[in-house]
Order: sequence, then C-alpha cells, then structure tokens
Amino acid sequence: MSASFTRAINVLREQVDASVASFFSACTHCGLCSEACLFYTETGDPNYIPIYKLEPFRHLYEQDFTLAGRVKHIFGLSPELTDVALAQWSELVYDSCTLCGRCAMVCPVGNNPGAMVRKLREGMSVAGYAPDSLVDATQRNVHLGSAMGVSYKTLKAQLIHLETDIGLTVPVDVQGADYMLLLSSMEIVQFPEFISAVTRIFHQAGVSWTISSTAFEASNSGIQIGASDIAQQIVERTIKGAQALGVKTVITPECGHSYTALRWEGPTLMGKPLPFKVRHILEVVDQLHQQGRIHFDPNTKDTRPLTYHDPCQIARQGGVIEAPRRLLNAVASDFREMAAHGKMNWCCGGGGGVSAIERADPLRSTVFKKKKQQIEEVGVHTVVSACSNCRMMLEQGIEDNSMDVEVISLTELVADHLVSVEQTVRDVA
Amino acid sequence: MFGTTKLIKALEEKGVTRRDVLKFCAITASVMSLPAGSVRAMARALEKAQRPSVVWLSFQECTGCTESLTRSHAPTVESLILQSISLDYHHTLQAAAGEAAEAARLEAMKAHHGKYILVVDGAIPLGNPGFSTIAGIDNLSMLKETAKGAAAVIAVGSCAAFGGLPMAQPNPTGSVGVSEVVTDKPVINIPGCPPIPQVIVGLLAYFLTFGKIPELDHLNRPKAWYGETIHDRCYRRPFYDQGLFAETFDDEGAKKGWCLYKLGCRGPTTYNACATLKWNGGVSFPIQSGHGCLGCSEPKFWDGGGFYQTVATPFRPTGRIIAITAVGAAAVGFGVIAANHALKNRAHKAHEPVTVDDLE
Repeated sequence: MSASFTRAINVLREQVDASVASFFSACTHCGLCSEACLFYTETGDPNYIPIYKLEPFRHLYEQDFTLAGRVKHIFGLSPELTDVALAQWSELVYDSCTLCGRCAMVCPVGNNPGAMVRKLREGMSVAGYAPDSLVDATQRNVHLGSAMGVSYKTLKAQLIHLETDIGLTVPVDVQGADYMLLLSSMEIVQFPEFISAVTRIFHQAGVSWTISSTAFEASNSGIQIGASDIAQQIVERTIKGAQALGVKTVITPECGHSYTALRWEGPTLMGKPLPFKVRHILEVVDQLHQQGRIHFDPNTKDTRPLTYHDPCQIARQGGVIEAPRRLLNAVASDFREMAAHGKMNWCCGGGGGVSAIERADPLRSTVFKKKKQQIEEVGVHTVVSACSNCRMMLEQGIEDNSMDVEVISLTELVADHLVSVEQTVRDVA
Repeated sequence: MFGTTKLIKALEEKGVTRRDVLKFCAITASVMSLPAGSVRAMARALEKAQRPSVVWLSFQECTGCTESLTRSHAPTVESLILQSISLDYHHTLQAAAGEAAEAARLEAMKAHHGKYILVVDGAIPLGNPGFSTIAGIDNLSMLKETAKGAAAVIAVGSCAAFGGLPMAQPNPTGSVGVSEVVTDKPVINIPGCPPIPQVIVGLLAYFLTFGKIPELDHLNRPKAWYGETIHDRCYRRPFYDQGLFAETFDDEGAKKGWCLYKLGCRGPTTYNACATLKWNGGVSFPIQSGHGCLGCSEPKFWDGGGFYQTVATPFRPTGRIIAITAVGAAAVGFGVIAANHALKNRAHKAHEPVTVDDLE
C-alpha cells in the first residue's frame, strides 16, 4: 500500500459525514440520475451514470462505516478498495462530472451525487490521480495567485488599455470601497470587455467599488481538484485582500465556479462566516437597475432573437435565476427561453474544472451535442450567458460544429444599452 | 351397529331416495370441481359402500362440532349419511357407557383394523395426562392407540385441527392439535368452530368413492373447501372494492349491507367455504346476518387480537418482540455510531495538510 493511497483513504474517511451516510443508505438504485446527466445522455455509456462515478467512495463507506460492510469485510466477503480502483476511476470522477448538480434535482430521495463527487475528489487528489492539467492549474493558483498564471502586472496592463478605451478609471486598491470585484483569469486574458462593462455600469450608478491588486483572482482550483486545504488558502487570500481594503461586499464575476467557491464553500472551508457579503455581478447589476440607478434606452432594445444559457453554479446551485431574465427583458425584445432552463438547465460541459482537463477534450466535444440541440431548438443565433467558462465552452463547441451562433456576456450586453439620465431627458424633450 | 350393512340400503330405510343421493353426489362433485363423470362414480361407490366403520374420539372439546354435524334444521342427505355410517364409537351419541363403550371401541378397532376411519374432535393436552381422561384413559394414549389401525385420521373442528380454544394463550394444559401427535399417517384437517356439516360428509363421500384423500393445502385442509378466502367469495366484496364500509354496527353503511372489514371481519384472512355453502342448509352465514367473520377456521384465531379490530391492526404478542428488537437494534446502532466516530476522529488526527506538492 503506497503512502499516498493510505493518505487518500484517510482523507476519504474524514469526508464521511451524515450527508454521505444518508446518501449511500438512501440510494435505491433507481437510475433516475442517469437521465439527468449530460455525460450519460450524450454517450449512452453506463459508466457515466452519476451514482456509478461514486463507486469507490460507496465501497469505502460500506466497508468502514456500516455494520453489514464490517461483517462482510471480517469474513473476507468484500474485496478491499485498492489503489488501482482509484486510478481507474480518475476519468469518471474528474473528466465526466462538471459538478453541475442536475442529478440532485431529479433524485427521488433527495441525494446529491455531484456533492459526493466533490468529496471523492478530495481522496483522488491526495492519491495522485487528479489530471495533470488540473494539478498545474492548482499550482499556478497557489504559487502565482491565478489559475492561468495571470499576474497583477498583466491585469494592470489590461486595465490601462481599457481605461483609454472607455475614458473611465478602474479603481484599484481603494480603501473603504463598498464593493470589491473579483475577476477570473479568463476575463482578464480573453474577455477584458467584461471589466469595461462593469466599470461603465458602476460609473453610471455611482457605485463605490475597487479591484484588489493582491486578491483579484476569483477562481479556486483547490475546489475543482478537490483539495480543501488548498482551497482554504485561496479563500483566505481573498479574505485578507477584502479586509485590507475594508470592503463590505465582494462581487464574484461572470464565472459560475467562483460564485459557489466563495459564497457557499467559503464559509464551510473557513469554518466560520465570511467577514463580508458575497454577491454575483448579475445580482448587483439587477439591484442597481431595480433601484433606478442605471438606465436603459427603451427605444433601442436589442431586437435579435436570443436565448440565455444558465451557468449551473449561478442558477441551479446559486439561485440567481430571475435577475438575468429581468435584465435581459429590459434590454432585449426577443428573449426566448430554452426548454430546459433555470434550475433544470443543461451544463455547457466544461464546469467543475473539466474545461481545464486536456484529456477530456474529446468527451467534452461529444457532450456538447446537448447544448447544440438546445440552441437549434430555440432557433436563435445569439446566446447570452454570464460565465466566462461557459462562454469559452460554448464558443469552442460552436466552432467545432460550425454553427452560426454568437455568444455574448449579459453584463456586456447590459452595459451596451446604458444611457445616461441626461441623455434620456434630452431624448424625451 | 353393523359394519357390513350397505350404506345405500340404510339410507333408503330412512326415506332417502336414489335421486336424493345422486343430487348430493352432484353437489359434492361440483363443489370439489370434480369431472362430471365422477357424480355417477360417487353414487355407485356410495351404493356399493359398506357402511364405513367410524371411531369418533372427543377430547378437549365442547361438543359443538358434533352438534353441527348432527343437528340440521331438517333431515338432510348429509346428516343422514352421517347417521348411516357405522359409528362404532362416539361417547356422546352411543347408548353404551363405561366399560361397555370402551369394549365397543376396541372391538371395532380389531374388526376393521386398517380400514376404519378415525374422527377426532377436541385438542389433546400434553401438560398432564390427568387433565382430560375418558374411562380412566388419558387422551394422548387413547389417540395414539386408536390412530394405529386407522385408514385415515380426520381432525374435525379447529381444536382438533390446530389446538383451538384449549390452546389459546396461555394454554394452561399444553394442548395441541391431532397432527402434533399423529405424525406417521396423513391427518386431514376440517377446521371451523364448528366446521360446515357438508364438508365432513363430502370428505367421507370422496374417500369412499376414490379410496384416497383429496388434494390438501399447506395446513392439510381439503383445497376444495378451503381453497379460497371468505373475502374472495363474499357477496359484500363489491362494497369493499368500492371502499364502502360499515363503520359501526348501526350506521347507514351497516344498514345498506356494506363491507364489514373495518368492524373486524376476518374474511380476508380466512379460508373456508361459508360464503358459498352457507349454514343451516344454505340459509345464511355470519356476514349475511350482519356480523364479520371471526376467522374461526384459521390457526390461533383466539389469539389474533380483538374480534372487532380491523384485520390490519397489530395485536399483543408483537409488542414485546418489537420492544426487544428495538432496544437491540438501538444498541447495535449506537455501537456502530461510536465506532464510526472513533474511526473518523482517528482520520482527523492523522490528517496531514494537503499542499500542492502532494497533488502530483
């Protein structure tokens, strides 16, 4: 037995709690979760049935924590959980689960297989069976401060660039600001328009906000790879940055994962409430709109037929479902809902760290069929979303399938429809 | 009594015509789902039959079974067949008493060894031989002795079949049914408190016709009469299916003749022919007169909870078992919980913080 395997078993035992016990005892093997999982519906491969992805964990639970399992183990009736079994499960635990949580919505006994996969990853990472690219991302996240290796220098360069573009200043390290905006590396590198959009919206609303030079990264690879100790370090960094500036609320950007990572996992990892509120950018923008602090020109609504792709972590896991629809209807006139949307949306296929796993590329491409079909059914050429990871996955899938579809960010769309109050008054006159 | 007299002749003397016998055979054959040809066979068999020698032993009983079989409203074929058998020993019915009676039994046993039919009503006390004796002979010895040379043993009534009332909790005399004592030959059970008269006579007719015993169920009851529940053949069954129940004995439902399930009717769990053959020459049966079935032909029916509790209501003897099981299960459960906590605590103590270097 290798040292890392012994450690992995120990970590998995630590993960066993009431929810694990009730889950494994309550599961009736009905198989309803299979039809809820993108990876099963698009491949038909029974290995991808959500409950099956948990087999090593279930095995360990039964063997170590149940009476029947203990008796069976004593009499040698159940095989030992082996290092080999964990190695074999790496693909099922990492590549084929985006932690989207859709399986939990259909489970008749209220189990949450996705949350169990998250727990199983704790053991897999220690055993050394996390995909290399995810390990690299986690190392960068810890050592360089960003999963994609984006330093503050890079960010600063982008900020200067966009400040000249829009003629506004992006506040950095402002003491006592109300809001602190986090950014995902993807936004800094690939979608800096998002930062411009937020700057314009906040400028009009007169929001007191800032970006922290020491804690700007929103994503938390520790959660994706399943290493709570590392995830805790990363959350701690955000807490330190926010406390140094004395902000009241931290805004997570258009990144589903970082919303869950900070708002829900954050207090659990720290073992205490966070010293600030956490809000998703859409929640904040929607609130500003409701309060009448930002204005859209009612005459220049976007007339393109468009649909909204709910990022799983924001909609299903985060409950931010109404806000994006209110905003969309305020700026667009032909918003069409996909059949499965809101809390029952289908994942883009790249959540939960899967987008960062190179070896998962072909599988991800296969399961994109679902999203393709959904977009085609609703018959639009514009998909709006609010997660840069979803956005990247959608763009990649659209390109692979040569579809004539454009993906845009909701925050950017909203910013594009802003009109100043003076302008509105002038127009009316 | 003379075992050599022909049965049919004895019946004729009592005014039973050939037609009556044929009719009886037809009814019996149809109840037992026998092929049409067997009616004739049965009539012929009865015609040829010697009056079968029957030894009737009564142990811990109330004579209700004998009453049922001999007291019919009007003389029926079955009661007359019963009377026409060569009842060589029956201490309620026979004129002889004391040693003379016992001599008659021993004589019949000797004369018809291996051919006589032994009918038993009443349970047998195993606790103490003195609990029940006849002419100074205890029930157990008498049964064993008499069963030895019998062609067939018929346990009539719930006491003989399953122990009945004498065996009811707390069973002070240690009573058992016949099949607990007679294990070397088949015992046919005709349970009921009392059983339906047609059933025992029908069984005799079958035995005389085919020379064998009919098909029996797992409790050794002839399937022909005990194959279906009272509930399945009950004329009130449509009300059950519609969910129409009498809630008390004097409510609208009771007056309208709705199902008596909620008033404790044991119809659903009782296998007997009451709903089809009925009682008193086919006049009525308990449910028809407005009272639920008591389940008198089922084993341990006295101990099955209150007669007016719905069948589904749990009853006394389970309470203690449940309590013991619950305490035991809780103890095991707490043990497992303690062991699980210890295991998890050990895991927590053994935890080494995971760093990025551990991931490779």
